[in-house]
Amino acid sequence: MKSTRFSPVTNLSKEEVDRKWWEIGDFFRRNSLWMLMYCTGCCAIELPPAMTSAYDMERLGMGPMATPRQADVLLVTGYLSLKTLRRIVYTYEQMSEPKYVVGFGSCTINGGIYHDSHAVINQLDQYIPVDSYVAGCMPNTEAVMNGFIDLMDLIKNKKADGWKRYKENNAWYKKNQLDSLVEVNVHDEFHE
Amino acid sequence: MILLGVLVAFGGFVLQTSMGGVNRKIIARLQKRYGPKWYQEFLDIFKLLSKRATSHGWIFDFGVIMALGGIIATAMFMPVSNNIIAFPGYDNFFIFVYLIAVGMLGMAMSASGSGNPLASIGVMRALTTMLAYEVPFMVIVLTIIKLSKSSSLSAIALSQQAGGDFNWFIIALPLGGVVAFISLLGMLGKKPFETYIAPAELASGPMVEYGGKQLGMLFIMHEITVFIEVALFVHLFLGGAENLLIFLVKYFLVYAIANLVSNVFGRFKIDQVVVFFYKWILPLAIIQAVIALYLGWVI
Amino acid sequence: MNNIELIILVVLSLGILAYVLGKFNAKLGTVVTILGSFFVLITLGYYGFVMDPQGLDMTSNLFPSITYGFTYLGLFFGVIVAFTFSMVSFFNPFFVDKYKFSAAYSMLYLFSLAGTVGVFFTNDLRFLFFFFELVVWTSLFLIPMGDSKKAASWYYGFSALGSFSLLFAVLLIFKATGNFNVASIGTVDQYNVAIFFLLIIAAFAKLGAFPLHIWLPKVLTNSPDPITALFSGGLEKLGAFVAVLGLVKLAPVGTMISLNGYINMTTASYFIAILGSMTIVFGTLMAIRQDDAKTLLAYSSMSNGGYILVALAMMNSTALAGGLYHVIAHALASTGAFLAIAAVKHYTGTTKMKELGGMIHKMPITYLVYLIAIISMAGIPPMGGFISKWLIFQSVIDKGLIFVAIATFFGSIGSFLYVFRPLAALFLGQELPQHREKTKEAPILMLIPMLIITVLNIYTGVIPNFILGKINLVISELGLSPLELGVTDIVGLNGTLNPALISGMFGIGVAIAFVIFILLKKSKKVGLMDTYTAGNFVYTEALLHYSLDFYAPLERLYEKQINIMSNFYNSVANKVREFGAFMKYFFFSNKPEITVFFIMTIVIFLLWGDVL
Repeated sequence: MKSTRFSPVTNLSKEEVDRKWWEIGDFFRRNSLWMLMYCTGCCAIELPPAMTSAYDMERLGMGPMATPRQADVLLVTGYLSLKTLRRIVYTYEQMSEPKYVVGFGSCTINGGIYHDSHAVINQLDQYIPVDSYVAGCMPNTEAVMNGFIDLMDLIKNKKADGWKRYKENNAWYKKNQLDSLVEVNVHDEFHE
Repeated sequence: MILLGVLVAFGGFVLQTSMGGVNRKIIARLQKRYGPKWYQEFLDIFKLLSKRATSHGWIFDFGVIMALGGIIATAMFMPVSNNIIAFPGYDNFFIFVYLIAVGMLGMAMSASGSGNPLASIGVMRALTTMLAYEVPFMVIVLTIIKLSKSSSLSAIALSQQAGGDFNWFIIALPLGGVVAFISLLGMLGKKPFETYIAPAELASGPMVEYGGKQLGMLFIMHEITVFIEVALFVHLFLGGAENLLIFLVKYFLVYAIANLVSNVFGRFKIDQVVVFFYKWILPLAIIQAVIALYLGWVI
Repeated sequence: MNNIELIILVVLSLGILAYVLGKFNAKLGTVVTILGSFFVLITLGYYGFVMDPQGLDMTSNLFPSITYGFTYLGLFFGVIVAFTFSMVSFFNPFFVDKYKFSAAYSMLYLFSLAGTVGVFFTNDLRFLFFFFELVVWTSLFLIPMGDSKKAASWYYGFSALGSFSLLFAVLLIFKATGNFNVASIGTVDQYNVAIFFLLIIAAFAKLGAFPLHIWLPKVLTNSPDPITALFSGGLEKLGAFVAVLGLVKLAPVGTMISLNGYINMTTASYFIAILGSMTIVFGTLMAIRQDDAKTLLAYSSMSNGGYILVALAMMNSTALAGGLYHVIAHALASTGAFLAIAAVKHYTGTTKMKELGGMIHKMPITYLVYLIAIISMAGIPPMGGFISKWLIFQSVIDKGLIFVAIATFFGSIGSFLYVFRPLAALFLGQELPQHREKTKEAPILMLIPMLIITVLNIYTGVIPNFILGKINLVISELGLSPLELGVTDIVGLNGTLNPALISGMFGIGVAIAFVIFILLKKSKKVGLMDTYTAGNFVYTEALLHYSLDFYAPLERLYEKQINIMSNFYNSVANKVREFGAFMKYFFFSNKPEITVFFIMTIVIFLLWGDVL
């Protein structure tokens, strides 16, 4: 019988150790998501029922936080005019990693009811990486809660890596931003 | 001795974090919703510790380390029950008040070092609130120290236990108990004295530029600070604890009642905080001190 | 070289040498001041403190009428003031070129040092007054070399009041005891009340306590920067010395107040304690609203002088130890803070906080000096200010004084507010572009005294028992029982304190926090302007720097009441002027109606003088 006392100890390789730490980290991150209270457009009206007693998102561990440095999730709720897109890009770059973006409403998917307007962008995914969408105009509050649970599942399956995509394809994202906006951090606010 | 102190600090952190989660659940049930899990605060802190944040220079990091270090040092001195004291005889009341100030100074330094004016405004409000709630509290503690002839926390707790059942200072000095409870609300930073955090007005005040591990360490600091302050109230007014179980029960009662009281209030403006404490609470404290010391009427 | 008279004469002659050298090259004159102050410090320190029993020689050979006597009290104060003089003298070479009479500056510096040594060690009350006046006159001529000449006239007015009351007290003591010995103050048995109040007025005028405090902020703001540090750390201790003479050495004045076993103080001491607490509150409230860093620290000196007065008025050995320890701790902390501000002014030319910001990035060591100085000033462990405040709190609580306790606690917490303001507005925050090129770290000759003071600040907080042992000698000499000291503990009236333990635990806590910090992921470094601005794009640093009206909501609560005392003194000055005009109108004019009035009065008295 082979003695178990002297069998070689299997050392986990560095990637496996990293992955185990990352999995533990993902457990913490998906059970305690903090969203940035940045209500861009009309879909933001669906957030108060999700936050309060009707559909309580605190039981999922989510809660609102005031500044981008402290938040994990950026909820882009609604249409994005060019002015707002500049601030969204600036805010997204100020968040600390790992960070996730959820697009609310149809306007972030394909422009929604403002798809033929000259001042609104059509596809949010070209400018900042989006992890999941919640479709609807506007989505039902139960759909919003479903969207959050979908995001938590994505984090569990390690598919929510928008922030890695942003770092790797940074040149492509920047080119899209500069094409539409000309200048992201404007110097002259009143003539942008 | 030192190891016992570190264990007390760590145990206090675990206790308060669980209590925080349980209290969030209580408040949620009051509001007819479900509320988070009881270990939600642990998840929050560990999530923060696992993120990669930004830093604005050496003073930003150094202040956070100094803040957390000062609070851990303070927690090491705190007696938990009659038998669990890390440094018997040296747990003077003033050490707690001033070592908490070291923690606050460290946090204020690093908040201002981030370069955001909102952080400086938040620190200004925190210091002004501290000026408001400390003076009445200290007057009441002066009365207690004179009546129990010692300023060591465990000695004060023992003198209350020696007088028989329910010989607590909260019953002997009722006005003092009210004053100390309202000062406790100020110390914990709960509504209506939550002006220095002010999430939407000041973008959470001093914590505006923190993310990741610095914010996680500040949360740990806040939990341990709450533990120290509620335990201070338990020892000074509720007679300490003979063993660990009674301490847990008293701690939970104080913290839950404080939470429930603060939940129904809005937020004061900062000059309303100062005027409130100096117009209503300080005269009450003076009346209590005069009654107890100069006239000698103690229940 | 251990003869006091010889020390004073050497310093006086070094002063004249500094004047002569200063006429050629101002910086050379200031080097002489450095050497002179160090000479005094080393001789006093070595022969007085280190040699046990003390080896200072008190015989007076050249001027036999000036007698000297050794008291531990005098030695204690003398070493502290000499230390302050020597540390500040390092800053003289950098600032002396801006002053109009730079040669006289060095001479007056050394003359005032000689005067203070004389005050502390003389045994003859007449020469106490002489040396006291020497200090007042030399510092009087040092003040107008700074920014304003009017400040000197305020200083002169209040110091004249103090000096005259000291003179009258000296004469009354002679009438009561028959000799001019300083040691015989304790045997005074008549005119107690008058001597007490005259000495207290002299002490108040020198310390800058309420109600004789108007000169302090004006003088300290407008004097040259090294002289401000000197005033706050050294010359005000003369007032504390006179206060000790009046409050502790003199027999108690007035009836005892005792309410249910608490208070237990004489009426006069209680009155002084109330005035001291008003000084604390007033100084704190005024310091909170200042924009100029020097004025803020001047009000802080006033507030700490109030602490010393409250401690000395308690007639209790713990309080006396606390007061004397506060003299040391405050001298160190205040000198450190003023020197740091002077280093900033050396590069930027201003001390107003609304024009400065972000100095820490260029001057980190100066920042650390200032930080440790204010931790001590606010009374936070593990620095020295905590020990003295703890001792004072112990005795205030033990006597059950409620209103003095409120003022003391208020001053203690309020000091967090005003010491934090220069830290946040001047050293931290955004870096303003107009100062960015000019500022560098302070030169090495400025750094040496600042670092020495920092190390001493930490030392007085962690291991206080050596100094407390020396203070026990002073207390026993004054007739009270000494403080109980263990190896590292201090036994107060209702508790024990172990400062080494607190500092040790603080170190362990910081080590644990540091370990947690290192083990986690490294942060990304971003610039100061990359901050949360709610989506606005801000490119001007001044818009993101919060320094003006820092405590505006608190200041608005009392801004209508701040001018009461200066208005009162202005109206007193007006009344004096009117009285002079009245006299001039009646007795020194040549108007016809006055002559008619006098002729009428004389005629009436001649005719009906026996009836009236």
